[in-house]
Amino acid sequence: MTLFQDTGGDPRATAARLADVLAWYGAVGDAACGNPSGFALRKAALGAALAETVSPDEKERPAIAFAGLLHAIGAIGNAAFKKGGDRLSERLARIEAWDVPAQGARICAAMGALPEATPDIVRWQAECWDGTGFPDQLRWHGIPRSAQCLLLADVFLRAEDPDDALATVYLRSGRSFGPDTARAFASWFHLNGGNAPAPVLPIDALAAAPGDDLALLDAIAGRVDAHNGVPGRWQRVHALADATAAIVGVDAAQRAALGLAARLYGAGELYCTDVEDAQFDPLARMGIDERAKNAGAAADLIADNATLGHVAEILRARAEWYDGTGKPAGMKHGEIPAGSRVLAATIAFDTLHEGRSSLRSERGAPMQRIDTAIGTQFDPLVVRALLTATKAHA
Amino acid sequence: MIELPERTRRVSPSRLLELLQRYDCHSLVDPFMGLPTHLNYLKRHGISVHGGDLLEWFVRVGEGIVVNDQTILRDSEVAEIVEMLPGRIYSVDMFKAWEGVFFTEEQCVYLGVWHDNVRNLRSDGQTGLAILGLWRAFCYWLQKTQNPDDMQDIQPSELAWTYIRDTECVVGTNLRRNTVRQGDVLATLGAQRADALFLAPPARNSFRSADARIWMWEAWWQGNPYFNIEHAYRDSLLGARASEIPAYSRALSNILAQADDYRTIIVQTTQNRLGDFEPLVRNARPHVEIVAPHPYEIYLIATK
Repeated sequence: MTLFQDTGGDPRATAARLADVLAWYGAVGDAACGNPSGFALRKAALGAALAETVSPDEKERPAIAFAGLLHAIGAIGNAAFKKGGDRLSERLARIEAWDVPAQGARICAAMGALPEATPDIVRWQAECWDGTGFPDQLRWHGIPRSAQCLLLADVFLRAEDPDDALATVYLRSGRSFGPDTARAFASWFHLNGGNAPAPVLPIDALAAAPGDDLALLDAIAGRVDAHNGVPGRWQRVHALADATAAIVGVDAAQRAALGLAARLYGAGELYCTDVEDAQFDPLARMGIDERAKNAGAAADLIADNATLGHVAEILRARAEWYDGTGKPAGMKHGEIPAGSRVLAATIAFDTLHEGRSSLRSERGAPMQRIDTAIGTQFDPLVVRALLTATKAHA
Repeated sequence: MIELPERTRRVSPSRLLELLQRYDCHSLVDPFMGLPTHLNYLKRHGISVHGGDLLEWFVRVGEGIVVNDQTILRDSEVAEIVEMLPGRIYSVDMFKAWEGVFFTEEQCVYLGVWHDNVRNLRSDGQTGLAILGLWRAFCYWLQKTQNPDDMQDIQPSELAWTYIRDTECVVGTNLRRNTVRQGDVLATLGAQRADALFLAPPARNSFRSADARIWMWEAWWQGNPYFNIEHAYRDSLLGARASEIPAYSRALSNILAQADDYRTIIVQTTQNRLGDFEPLVRNARPHVEIVAPHPYEIYLIATK
């Protein structure tokens, strides 16, 4: 089953779709390290705009945009942000976080579609002129100007207002930024009135091949699950959800959307300190708020994404209850998208089956427990199909 | 006014770590270490590192961030470094020769005060950290002489305080032995054994165009503003004795021949110098892989 529509061999459409998946990756990176929503896209746009004034190498500008977009993907799986296990001390966490750019660079280097300079711009985006940056503690002209553009963009976007950003860059001239770079920033600032440009990705710079998008999506979902301390979860949920949906008779388009939803929903848990099955029994009413929050967060990450946005509805409604007492909208019965009904039951089953040991042993077999929630939390038709699917899997 | 060079040697320890991991190397010797922040990075990632250099201040910094596993400078100790202490007699004129040429009168007084205070520190680790932090303040001043209107005026003690405090975060242990030594390349090579040898050799005659921020800080550490870096390099293997192309190549071949015990040799060079280095490395080892992420950052990885 194909999850995406055929692009008919149009390379631009293929590249555009890959760019959308990359945009989601950037958003997931932001979520992993606690950046505000949309930060990566804004950083990409601003970094590329600054490069027109600051960086002399025109060829590197698309690379700067993608490096800005993917600036935080190294945080997914980084020990400073990872869930589960012992919490690191503040000092150790800071040292671990220094490796985020280098880890991001390694991931970018493995993506053949990105412009060649992207990995090293990601690697050196946090280097400071005086050698106090990270990870490599490069100094002076050893830091590429393209990487300094991203640091400037970062400072600008984190400032409370544009004038604050200008003051901060001046204060850090000769320390974080080369004096020439700081001067070029001031020039850009005054020419543009301190207005950040609208985010547009240079998709023509991507060397995308058919299938890259789905392979990347799978890789991201795998990294998100490992980060959340539930390795391989999306694959289990996807296999079971797809089999269940087939039995229920969900149409091909909805099944494709469900396949994407199985890959995307884990990203919603990046914002919370623990994954939801570590906090609540998936059948407990107490966990509704948390589940709805995570579902909403996962949906928000793709809300404006042209390729993935249609899955937001399924993701957002996965915390709804069949009897209408769920969240966030209190939908009931057929109002809840079929994909959401299947996804909710499958996630609950996977949590009971693979989650923490107390859930597995204390209260009986997973399917028996899911049975007790028929008609209240779950659609009876879906639960019967899930039972058949699990037997087939066994 | 002093000229600061437009090019800076780039050693990327995160990339070096990737290469070491690919070749399953867990220890490394770098006989041309320079400022050993890259060895500090590798140490923090579990590699046992051994460095060497001819300049003493590099080695002192290495004692702070490479050898030292736990000693830091507390606030009160930093305060005793950055300001003049009552009751202590300072050689405030020590760097008067630089006054009006590179630095202001106030800055020259501070350089003298810092020199005396650092020399009075009891621990090698603390001394290394203080030298590193103060060097960054010194570099800030030199940069400011070039860009007086683009950089903020910061009170010397405040600048030094910030930079010295900043060094604390790189101190850590890898539960392995890490060393630095002052000496020429062959002495460092012979003194240690490791899985990998990292060579980023200085260019021929490079001591003649050395960055002022490097040699002036050695002058500061020696307490001699007239110090000339040529003295340090004159009798070294790649110093004045290798000022001609054949002599320089012979010196490099000699280093590679002496490195027979090392399983892996990583030579970092640039596109411009690749033609000089590649034949020498291929002559020394049968297997050579070239990793070239940039024209100015090329690695020749030689194995047996």
